[in-house]
Amino acid sequence: MARILTIEDDAVTAREIAAELQAAGNEVDCVGDGRAGLERALAGGYDAITLDRMLPGMDGLEVVSELRRAGVDTPVLMISALSDVDARVRGLRAGGDDYLTKPFAPEEMAARIEVLLRRGAGARETTLRVGDLELDLIARTARRGSVVLDLLPLEFRLLEYLMRHAGQVLTRTMIFEAVWGYHFDPGTNVIDVHIGRLRRKVDAPGFEPLIHTVRGCGYAMRTS
Amino acid sequence: MNASDAASRQDGPSGRWRSSTKRLILVYGAFFVAWTVVLVGAIRWQTANYLDGIVDSILEQRLRYLSSVERTRLPALLAATTQLDLHGLMASGLFDAQGHYVAGDIEHLPEGLAIDGRVHPLPEGVQRISGERAGRMHAVALRLADGAVMLLARDYRVVDQVGEIIRSGLLWALSLTLVPGLLGGYLLSRGPLRRVRAIESAIQPVMRGDLGARLPVSERRDELDMLAAIVNRMLEQVERLLGEVKGVSDSIAHDLRTPLTRLRTQLHRVQQLGSEGDPRSQLVERCIVEADALLDRFRALLRISELEDIGRRAGFAAVDVGDTLRRVHELYAPLAEEKEIAFALEADAVPTLRADGHLLFEAIGNLVDNAIKFAPRGGHVVLRAASEDGRAVIEVLDDGRGIPADERDAVLRRFYRSAASGADDAVGHGLGLPLVAAIARLHGYAFTIADNAPHGTRMRLVCWLVDDGP
Repeated sequence: MARILTIEDDAVTAREIAAELQAAGNEVDCVGDGRAGLERALAGGYDAITLDRMLPGMDGLEVVSELRRAGVDTPVLMISALSDVDARVRGLRAGGDDYLTKPFAPEEMAARIEVLLRRGAGARETTLRVGDLELDLIARTARRGSVVLDLLPLEFRLLEYLMRHAGQVLTRTMIFEAVWGYHFDPGTNVIDVHIGRLRRKVDAPGFEPLIHTVRGCGYAMRTS
Repeated sequence: MNASDAASRQDGPSGRWRSSTKRLILVYGAFFVAWTVVLVGAIRWQTANYLDGIVDSILEQRLRYLSSVERTRLPALLAATTQLDLHGLMASGLFDAQGHYVAGDIEHLPEGLAIDGRVHPLPEGVQRISGERAGRMHAVALRLADGAVMLLARDYRVVDQVGEIIRSGLLWALSLTLVPGLLGGYLLSRGPLRRVRAIESAIQPVMRGDLGARLPVSERRDELDMLAAIVNRMLEQVERLLGEVKGVSDSIAHDLRTPLTRLRTQLHRVQQLGSEGDPRSQLVERCIVEADALLDRFRALLRISELEDIGRRAGFAAVDVGDTLRRVHELYAPLAEEKEIAFALEADAVPTLRADGHLLFEAIGNLVDNAIKFAPRGGHVVLRAASEDGRAVIEVLDDGRGIPADERDAVLRRFYRSAASGADDAVGHGLGLPLVAAIARLHGYAFTIADNAPHGTRMRLVCWLVDDGP
């Protein structure tokens, strides 16, 4: 069970963030003020922090800067009403690890926290494995059991991202940001189509499906 | 951004416009020339008239004198007159009653000359005994008491020569006045034109949306400065008003974010509390789909507003168009394939652009997404880039139903959806093209929508290169 600190001044939003994270099995503390939030975060013991960008007492940017200055490297998800690209860049430069814009879907927030919580795990591995699916990052090859998969470079990157976060829910926006490197809504169902093509190669008939659709949210790679 | 924006760049001082000073000088010069021609004509006419009178009175006086002397002395006097006339301007002749030559240097009476003692013009002149024939002359003939006829003529060329001297003198004066006048005028007109060019380059940022820019006002405080000061005052007002409007919309947008987040999170909670197969859960799920669509539109709307804020130019850098197009193609090719649409990429040797790479990708992506949406199953979409007249032109072509000409400006407005898009178009929120237009405006690019042959739409972005950007 992970301990998460939510620093958010809107009580209803804070309650819903907490409920969503608790539903995923986490323990959540809520603070409505920037300064108090910083003190709690500095006291330590948290695995991740959700941080509102605009807070009474102390601005979210200052909170995260202070945290980093104090040597606390707890992953921080910044949640902001400021959507423009510059605000995002400033948030990440100040020390935020991810940036989510209001209004957001709670599933998206929970998925991002989940990714932050497991950040760093398996980062140095050169071969990724999920069930009988194996991805060799050095040789750039993929195989399912004894079958070698013929993947395009883009499909390889997509599969690598899904496998690195096996067991986690990944939203379409997260996939687009991580694999393509852009931060906007690509529209229609373009990510679904890419996942569909990858799925036809990875989950060929006769194999156990590994890429699962999480209804209304995104995708997850896992063995059943 | 529409076609008129693109055309506006060609309307600079270096384009169709002409200097008003230059025009005034040319008009003034034309009047001056016309007036001088009239003046020369009048002086010449007056002078000729005056000299005519003198020549005629000389002839008349001489005739009166000679007619009064003794008849026998007349041949000798005529001969003396000829001898004394060194320039050969005078000619005379004495004929008997039958018209036969008696004395003088004219052998025959000119035909048609009235013998009435009055001066008449002789356009053909007279033939002298020496064989010489003078040109235009004035002549007078008088019948003497014994029936003889005395003829006196005077060469008229001298009057013509005086007229010629006056004409050429005035023409010289005209050219000596006109040439420095035109040259000076041209030099004078260059000054204001240079200042208009400076004003044009100063107003470029304003045209791109930076209302903080102002026109230069010089120390001269002349008409141009007066105009620039008026425009500056107007810009201050526009900036203030737009700032107020933006402030209001920003607060509305900001105030809506939190309630929308609450709505979405609480719907999600209700959904989690429901059980599988419960009709209420299905209802909640539909509500979530609707709420997500609402959030998408809201985010897109905010993004357009954000793009309209000029402060985003910080992210501009050199961008490889070919690479951007290849990435867009890579992202959307599977989507086209699903619809059995042939999606071609044509991008060879396109120069580097000055742009925000992420926004350029987003704009082109939106155009391609739109084209794939409107191309029929089995249709064609082309994404291409080329260099044209020192600009990079990015085009997305489809063979769908196209956008009617009268709707092309409207589709760039938020939430407008073409009637031609049909009821089957369930996807899209009418914000894709306004977003592209906002990105184009931010970059100072021209974004136009045209017909594709034989049918379909041609979306066109005309972009600045890295070296000559605004």
